[in-house]
Amino acid sequence: MNLMATILLNVLIAFLLGSILFGLQRKIMARIQMRPGPPIIQHLLHTLKFFVKESSFPRTAAMPFYVAIASMLCAIWVSAVIVGPVAQGSLLLFFGIYALHKIVEHNAGSSSGSPYGKLSCVRAVFSAAAEVPLFAVLIIIYLQTNTMVISDIISYQAANGPLLFTIPLAAVMFFVLILSKAPYSPFAITKGKDIISGYETEHFGVLRGYLMISESIAWYMLLWVFLTVFFGPLGVMGYLVGMLALSVLTAFINATTPILNPNHSIMVQVTFAFIGIFGSILLMLAF
Amino acid sequence: MDISTLGGQILGQIPLGDIVLYLTPFNLFMFAGALIFTALIAMSRTETQIEAEFGSLKDNEVKVGLEEFKIRRFLAIVCGLATAGAMITGDLFNFTLFVALIGIVNIGIVSAVKQIDVLNAAFQYGLIAMIASLPLFGGAALVLASTGTLSLLQLSTLASTTPMMYFASLLLLMGIAGETGVAPFYATKAEMFRTPGSPFILIIHLSSLLVIVRAIEILLIINKPF
Repeated sequence: MNLMATILLNVLIAFLLGSILFGLQRKIMARIQMRPGPPIIQHLLHTLKFFVKESSFPRTAAMPFYVAIASMLCAIWVSAVIVGPVAQGSLLLFFGIYALHKIVEHNAGSSSGSPYGKLSCVRAVFSAAAEVPLFAVLIIIYLQTNTMVISDIISYQAANGPLLFTIPLAAVMFFVLILSKAPYSPFAITKGKDIISGYETEHFGVLRGYLMISESIAWYMLLWVFLTVFFGPLGVMGYLVGMLALSVLTAFINATTPILNPNHSIMVQVTFAFIGIFGSILLMLAF
Repeated sequence: MDISTLGGQILGQIPLGDIVLYLTPFNLFMFAGALIFTALIAMSRTETQIEAEFGSLKDNEVKVGLEEFKIRRFLAIVCGLATAGAMITGDLFNFTLFVALIGIVNIGIVSAVKQIDVLNAAFQYGLIAMIASLPLFGGAALVLASTGTLSLLQLSTLASTTPMMYFASLLLLMGIAGETGVAPFYATKAEMFRTPGSPFILIIHLSSLLVIVRAIEILLIINKPF
């Protein structure tokens, strides 16, 4: 297939599947909390709705930075789809993309001039301190497989079995990272309801649509990377079942766990990172 | 060790005397990302922070003054260019120089702000950054002393890692962590982000995270676990 068509197809799949998985999460969370909950396609409809709504910009916003930053978030996650499912490139590059995502999340909040966005911005800086050590999982994968290239990691697992069984603590670390990106998660301090919608508070219309598209693609990509680097070569059904299972699991955790305060959230994540890094190295030395 | 197992296929090399830049998708993406953000900073206005006023129903608007805006924008652009340089360089000493420059301009970006909490945070971060410059350059010097080269391409071809190189890597890691103010030094740096001037504080965060990602690549090039 033509490269551009492959990219477009993958981006479309990432957006649609990511949106539906978010909708499913909300439905499961609602049922656990004895509520009927919104339809599963609600997140998708919500995203599309923002593209036909009026776009307005706060007079206090840092222009054109405020507009560019929300648009860039979308571009960053489209790049992630190209690096991941399309090109199966370097995990290090994916880490770079995630770092840029953190920066955009941080500045989408501060550029509006809203105090809620600003608080979200400061929390994003704190949360980066926890999420960056969690991303040290990439180094553990490299130490185990001798490569950061996704296609080579898949080949390694085809020959030696899934990495989930050889470096399970690294998989737990990555899962905590995924959990921190789920809405209503105990670690979702940048979008806690105590600060309204965090960095999204002052984004309306098309800009909010961009942010929501990015969230859906980001969710799909994090699940895709997790399944690819810990379960090895999977078919379409394997990915679907895996993404569904992970989304259901996060929904259960989110429905039954309150959002932690920022300090506790960081300390819990750093503890997972500490145990994961040193535990994995010890496991590798032992076996 | 094949350098392409880290950042992807090598797309080209630019030899500048004994310094050879190598271009992988990883380096190019990070370089382009840093430059795009720098261009965005150069053309953006700053936001107006709205805060509630105690004892009344009025709002308090916090703005960045023109003089302050000019100097902070200049320093932010220098920081962006230094970050882009750190992403593309193929020489360990150049990398440490860029990181040291990032540390200096990061302090400068917030030191023009007239807020006590922000200045305190900048002062504390400045102390850490200055202390970290010793292990940063010491690490690079030890790599040169133990291998005879600072070229990352040359370092990637070495067959094994000596104990001195492990020690040098540890020093480098300490230096980079201090200069960029990442964990465990982030708590100090986060207070700096309370100041208005979103485009300028973006570059403080951007430089830290991108340098850390590049540092992972460099440390894995120096240390060969296999």
